[in-house]
Amino acid sequence: MELLRDSLLSAVVLLMQLDPELLFIIWVSLKVSTLSTLIAATVGIPAGLLLAQAVFPGKRFILTCLNTLLALPTVVIGLVVYAFISRRGTFGSLGLLYTQEAIIIGQVILIVPLVTSLTIAAVSKLDERYRLSAMTLGADRYQTALVIFKEARFGIVAAVVAAFGRVIAEVGIGMMLGGNARGFTRTMTTAMALEYDKGEYVLAVALGVVLMTIAFGVNMLFHFFQGRTRTDAL
Amino acid sequence: MLYELIGLEKIFGGRKIFDIDRFSIRSRRIYSLTGPNGAGKTTLLKILAFLDRPSAGEIRFCGKPVVQVEGDLLDLRRQVVMVDQSPLLFTGTVIDNVEFGLKMRNFPAAERKKRAIEALQKVGMEQFAPAEAHRLSGGETKRVALARALAIRPKVLLCDEPTANVDSEHQKIILDILADINRREKTSIIFSTHYQSLEQQLAHFCLHIQQGHLSEHQADNVYHAELIERGQRRCSCRLSERVVITLPARAVPAEPLFNLRIDQGRIRLADITGERETEGSLVEGRVAQIREENGGIEVRLDAGIVLDLVLSPGMYADRSIRVGEVVAVVIPDDAVHCIPNNGQLRKE
Repeated sequence: MELLRDSLLSAVVLLMQLDPELLFIIWVSLKVSTLSTLIAATVGIPAGLLLAQAVFPGKRFILTCLNTLLALPTVVIGLVVYAFISRRGTFGSLGLLYTQEAIIIGQVILIVPLVTSLTIAAVSKLDERYRLSAMTLGADRYQTALVIFKEARFGIVAAVVAAFGRVIAEVGIGMMLGGNARGFTRTMTTAMALEYDKGEYVLAVALGVVLMTIAFGVNMLFHFFQGRTRTDAL
Repeated sequence: MLYELIGLEKIFGGRKIFDIDRFSIRSRRIYSLTGPNGAGKTTLLKILAFLDRPSAGEIRFCGKPVVQVEGDLLDLRRQVVMVDQSPLLFTGTVIDNVEFGLKMRNFPAAERKKRAIEALQKVGMEQFAPAEAHRLSGGETKRVALARALAIRPKVLLCDEPTANVDSEHQKIILDILADINRREKTSIIFSTHYQSLEQQLAHFCLHIQQGHLSEHQADNVYHAELIERGQRRCSCRLSERVVITLPARAVPAEPLFNLRIDQGRIRLADITGERETEGSLVEGRVAQIREENGGIEVRLDAGIVLDLVLSPGMYADRSIRVGEVVAVVIPDDAVHCIPNNGQLRKE
């Protein structure tokens, strides 16, 4: 208990001093998480809109696969991506291994199914009459999708917020594909794991405080958007 | 013909909703669509609005077969608008909603606004233009949804229960609007309803769907009338080449063409002598059909118009009329309801 109290006090001092190493770690974490969330949203939202509305053979199978991918462990993603981008892999010549780009690739694979599934859920909850109203008023498929996006926007934003929360707290991919290189690919979670291994708790606790603050903010956002969705439905 | 339905079938959940052998719907008319709950009224309207596809059969729209391909359907959808029984407005202001259909058709912003305001004026909602659409009441939402459809100036307007869950004041407003756009803009209107009075007041033709079959009949005793002479006390109105009736001048609308409905329960058989009664019109016709209905005897006369009347069993027994016989009936003034083309009912 004393250890935690001392570490916490030292962490607060570290944060108040705006330690450059600490700030850089936070910056890398936010950068890769934001970029991977944006890329996943760009892929997952249209895919979710399409899957929610389209009727085609094999749709149920695709939805089952998506739900399965939600449970994909980060170490499995790390292994698969490693196989492709390591020196002997198909994309080895691109030199992606142990870069921030490698972490982004892994994180995108991790959260695309999440964004897609939550978008499908948000659109499926939307009243069918929105789609029919847009169609009868002369909207084409693209215009109808835009209407649905607009009406389901709170649910979709909540999906993106949830995805960001997932990657900011993720450690396996950051460690396996980023390599936890100091001043380069070290993220908050990988740094915390390393500091713990070293028995240096001050930086780990400081990063933990920042991470929890970000996670709290993200969850507040998530509940805010979910609340808006429920209010809209009433 | 506006629509021709040929061998049209709709199967849903393994159940055949309807099976229409061959059916035609004329343009520029108002049709009512009635039928029991679950008979497929809304499904039929959705198919006519090209929002749903039939399981089998062919639809012809304005003489051309409808190809169930998205691109072709979009062109057709842009001529037909359906207003839902409980319409939803999109997020945004009332005017954003009314402009929506025009925006989809790439109308310039100024034209969009002009037409949207006009449409809102038609439904008496222009003062709500900047209001948030989600804050409107049910009746107001229905009127804005109607304005949203009218702004497009569609060839066909399909309304699913346009007056359901609406108070009597808003019901009247909605009916007036429908009658008005049919008269002014020649918009064909098909509306589903549970109310027979609404059907009789507004529709030129009535469609009835039951057990999967669609039938059509002219609205009971509803006729197009032409004012041929306006006297100080009474006016002469022509219902067909052979049938002219007179009505009190105060009951007849100002315009020369209007609709009128004759209450079948108030038509009486004339005296045997055929003596004309003072307040009413005498019409002669051949008995085409006699049937018992709800304890009364329904008699259909071919009098140059099809005229239905209901006799009490006692009256029927006294007169013992037969099919093929020529009889005279009196249409009392108070049995006639004039419906000006603006849809407002005048009763005498």
